[in-house]
Amino acid sequence: MREENQKKSFTGASKYVLDDELASIVNISMALEMPLLLKGEPGTGKTMLAHAIAEAFGMRLIVLNVKSSMKLIDALYQYDTLTRLNDSRFGDSRRDVSNIEEYIRMGKIGQSFVSEERVVLLIDEIDKADTDFQDDMLDVLDQMEFDIIEIDKTIRANHRPVIVITSNAKKDLSDPFLGRCNFHHIAFPEPDMMRQIVQVHFPGIEKELLNSAVRTFYRLREIKGIEKKPATRELINWIRALRADPDFQVKALVKGEVPYLGVLFKKSSDYIVAQNAVSRFRI
Amino acid sequence: MFVDFFYLLRKVGIPVSPTSFLRLQKALSMGLINSIDDFYTGARAILVKSEKYFDLYDQVFAHQFQGTELKDPSEFELSEVVRALLDEWLKDPKVLSDALGIDEKDLAKLSPEELIQYFLDRLKEQTEAHHGGSKWIGTGGTSPVGHSGYHPGGMRVGGVSRNKSAVKVALDRRYRDYSQEGPMTPSQIGEALKRLRNMVPFGPKDRVNIDKTIYETMRNAGEIEIVFDRSLKNRLKVILAIDNGGWSMDPYVELVQTLFNYARAQFKDLKTFYFHNTIYDYLWEDPPRRSKPHAVNELVRLDTETRFIIVGDASMAPYELMATDGSIHIEERSGKPSYERLKFIAKTFPHSVWINPVLTHYWPYTPSIQHIREIFPMFELTLDGLEKAVTQMMRKN
Repeated sequence: MREENQKKSFTGASKYVLDDELASIVNISMALEMPLLLKGEPGTGKTMLAHAIAEAFGMRLIVLNVKSSMKLIDALYQYDTLTRLNDSRFGDSRRDVSNIEEYIRMGKIGQSFVSEERVVLLIDEIDKADTDFQDDMLDVLDQMEFDIIEIDKTIRANHRPVIVITSNAKKDLSDPFLGRCNFHHIAFPEPDMMRQIVQVHFPGIEKELLNSAVRTFYRLREIKGIEKKPATRELINWIRALRADPDFQVKALVKGEVPYLGVLFKKSSDYIVAQNAVSRFRI
Repeated sequence: MFVDFFYLLRKVGIPVSPTSFLRLQKALSMGLINSIDDFYTGARAILVKSEKYFDLYDQVFAHQFQGTELKDPSEFELSEVVRALLDEWLKDPKVLSDALGIDEKDLAKLSPEELIQYFLDRLKEQTEAHHGGSKWIGTGGTSPVGHSGYHPGGMRVGGVSRNKSAVKVALDRRYRDYSQEGPMTPSQIGEALKRLRNMVPFGPKDRVNIDKTIYETMRNAGEIEIVFDRSLKNRLKVILAIDNGGWSMDPYVELVQTLFNYARAQFKDLKTFYFHNTIYDYLWEDPPRRSKPHAVNELVRLDTETRFIIVGDASMAPYELMATDGSIHIEERSGKPSYERLKFIAKTFPHSVWINPVLTHYWPYTPSIQHIREIFPMFELTLDGLEKAVTQMMRKN
């Protein structure tokens, strides 16, 4: 499998613009078979990276969306007692009631282990769960196996999945956790990079619109006192909105008008701050 | 290979572990790293686990592989800190110009780099810790810069503490994100407070209780009997008492506001009270503390399981806490000192904490904080402090 990895290296996907730095980190992590922990502002494409890797290698993507109430076992497997009870009563299914194994459903991590081919496992927003969950999960991912206590069976990974973990937290994760991952912080893209990203999403976008939209966008990001700055996701939605509006003229942006501000600023306090700032653009 | 590099990273304070170093060797031996650029990104991804250290890593890397001069570790820490301080100050140019003793208009002409240089020069002139007096970086005293806030127009400069030199404290600021200066957004406060909950069955019976269902089915000789329960919801009762009086709390208003907003969104059963400095006979339900008093004695009617959270700087003259007529408000003269009142609250609500926006290492210098700490477990209003406070409040006994 290793040779295979070296032959194929990650160079981006159809909707993802990759910088060289991140590409080499992805390749190193895949070769070392280590989980890659990604941090960065919301909307810088942390989640998208996993989608892009899956697309580029033609692998299946399994997404584990972490929730605060989640227990590790939920991510591994679930013992479906109710179906078993139902079957034992009515007996109209083809499952064998005395075989508990038929009532074990794999969770997301479990699925990635039992899969026949190598998959990409995205563990999204790990910071939402508590530290115990994080550490226990890393143990499982490190050992590449877990036990199903109900049937006393150990599930071993057929193939080590490519693991991408994302975190929005400002605070660092625990040391043992960090020790087992490679780390990368995705910085907010520079305007040049951003233009490329927009072009990937809107092939054939007018140059004028592209330039003025990106310029306005970076200007808006610099407004002081904003809690949630608009990110790539917002920019792309905003451009989509601008292009959908038949009355929209690119000149308006140059003049300092910013239509559809609500697409960019989603918190009402931010919206008001931005609106005030924008009204000053025009002068 | 690269052992020097590894130790240099450790020396400047990046926590690199031997395991990760070995992993880097593995990556090298597998032929994954073929150029200096690859090495730069690869080594960083494997060795450095937080973006806080990226800048430092860059400097070490440049030193090791491009032969640039490596500054004394303390020095580049310092310049980063200064930049952070200036960022804070730039939000309020007036205060900044007062602090540096230059006219606001002249200040506007300086570029950020010039400002930082100016600031650093001033900082270097100061060779020893400086207490009181009117020199511009110091502690206490009448200087407009400094933490203690005796100057009414004073501003809060992160970490310029009472008995450490500014330089020394500057070095402590490596943990910025944990400190007050780090942005405490509602979502982060949410992270810290999310374990503060009391799950009780609430709402419609829409959840299958598996154990009971199996049990009842057995009792029913195999005829399925499904048992439903109410799902668990957070019904924790919380009282938030906020010190909103006087200028000593002014620097923390924004921070407390964030906490309050989060609490209001999160806790269904939240009561908010206001007080000035400390609690006497009354708490107030309205922020101006005028029209809606709530007698402290009445608190006994409430559920004692309520989590009582007091937010205040606990900094006041000792008599305000100890004297029988300590209140600065004339109508609150019942003859009980505030100290007794606080004890009464702590006794009524076993799960109570005091959250203090003043950072822990200043506490020993304020006697009233010492006294209040004897009554309430006290925590600082930072992410770390909040987490500890939550643990305290969720303790079973």
